[in-house]
Amino acid sequence: MARVEFQHSLDALEASLQEQGQVVLRAVRGAVNAMQTQDVELCDEVIAFDDEIDIRYHRIERSIEEILAQQSPVATDLRLVLAVLHNSIHLERIGDQSVTVAKLTKLSADLETRHDLVEGLTDMGDRAEEMVRIALDSFARRDIEQAQELVDLDELIDRTNRRVVDQVLQMAAAPGQQEWGMRMIVVARCIERIGDNAVDIGEQTAFLVTGEFTEFTDASH
Amino acid sequence: MSVTTPQIDSARIAEVAQPITEDGRGRETVFDVDDLAVSYSGNVALTDVTMDVRKNFVTAFIGPSGCGKSTFIRCFNRMNDLVPGAKVHGQVLYHGRDLYGSSVDPVEVRRRIGMVFQKPNPFPKSIYDNIAFGPRVLGMKQGLSDRVEQSLRQAALWDEVKDRLKDNALGLSGGQQQRLCIARAIAVEPDVILMDEPASALDPISTSRIEDLIHELKQEFTIVIVTHNMQQAARVADMTAFFSVDVREDGSGRHGILVEYAPTTKIFTNPADKRTEDYVTGRFG
Repeated sequence: MARVEFQHSLDALEASLQEQGQVVLRAVRGAVNAMQTQDVELCDEVIAFDDEIDIRYHRIERSIEEILAQQSPVATDLRLVLAVLHNSIHLERIGDQSVTVAKLTKLSADLETRHDLVEGLTDMGDRAEEMVRIALDSFARRDIEQAQELVDLDELIDRTNRRVVDQVLQMAAAPGQQEWGMRMIVVARCIERIGDNAVDIGEQTAFLVTGEFTEFTDASH
Repeated sequence: MSVTTPQIDSARIAEVAQPITEDGRGRETVFDVDDLAVSYSGNVALTDVTMDVRKNFVTAFIGPSGCGKSTFIRCFNRMNDLVPGAKVHGQVLYHGRDLYGSSVDPVEVRRRIGMVFQKPNPFPKSIYDNIAFGPRVLGMKQGLSDRVEQSLRQAALWDEVKDRLKDNALGLSGGQQQRLCIARAIAVEPDVILMDEPASALDPISTSRIEDLIHELKQEFTIVIVTHNMQQAARVADMTAFFSVDVREDGSGRHGILVEYAPTTKIFTNPADKRTEDYVTGRFG
């Protein structure tokens, strides 16, 4: 194997991405748990934890800058570097969504909740977390089929999201629950976006393997 | 009224579409090579080459040492004729005419298909005479001074030498000498310029000048370039051919083969053949 140092730097880059992925998964899990239990302390932890994610993102970006400048990667190497950069940004966004969920949970900590809605949101959060896990795994294994499964899983999240919105609309007349309901619509939206980001990561798996970028689903439809 | 949606198979279109650039280069075929093989005194150096070279394209040949890329480029202006024992099999059509046909004059071939070599090789004469020599020999004597100026301008050398045209060309720097050789090739109004490692003996600044020059010259000429520098192929070429060495199963030796020929962006982003991938990513050997 020639270019040993170069291969090391690519391996290290991919390892950093998976590490960022694990950190982001903790943020998602923390945000969903905090929302489910209305745990303000945990919310603060999730919010503070975002710095960890950002540091890792910037570290990956800097490594990529160095690899591009020093190694002039081409073909699969180039696609790997580009895909890692995209995925790192997607993960960073997932971290941001988790922070928003935590902040909204904090804001609604003293409000009256609805058990069935919290259950629906928790279900969405569990699915989103699983999707991020699958997305990262499909990338590590270069498994396009596994990546494409994310589309079906995303549809389930979208469906739950629509149900949450309907339930909140029905709550509109219930006094004292509107504010909490409105905030939870945004929470649902954040979790739904995490699912979308996981699909984006899956698309990078397909790009890495095939060399062609195609969107699994077209958002305009 | 019903409207029929045309069924477009984009994959099929990509397959049959000619590799034409936005500026319209690449519409015509200059060389059409079919099943070419070259041997030296019975030893096969290169086999099974089938490809075409398009007009006003820069076509790069890359590959490890001994893969036959220099042997191949020399087939385009019959330089292998000058090597004792060299034999070319198969067909090379130049604008539809058999380049190796019995009625073809190799001297006329070399006027229309010029060549620039790895090491700059100016004649030990003045800068002016280096350029004027070819046209004089070919009887293109009218407006000779203008032709010399024009050729030096096209080779981006005029401003550097216009005040010392009578000086000996060997006094120029390596990079200037190479541009002089390009000017010398241009002076006889060729159709194609072959370049065999034109920048490998030059420093980075001279190299980038030559590369800039290649981008200029492709508007007027068809350029074929052999290069060891893969990034150079990536920077200058429209199409890239990757050659490799095939070791014969019966142990009788090794010879060059064409592995993959595709648009340069394809070769460097998503090559179809594993051997190309290994070579361009540096994972060979």
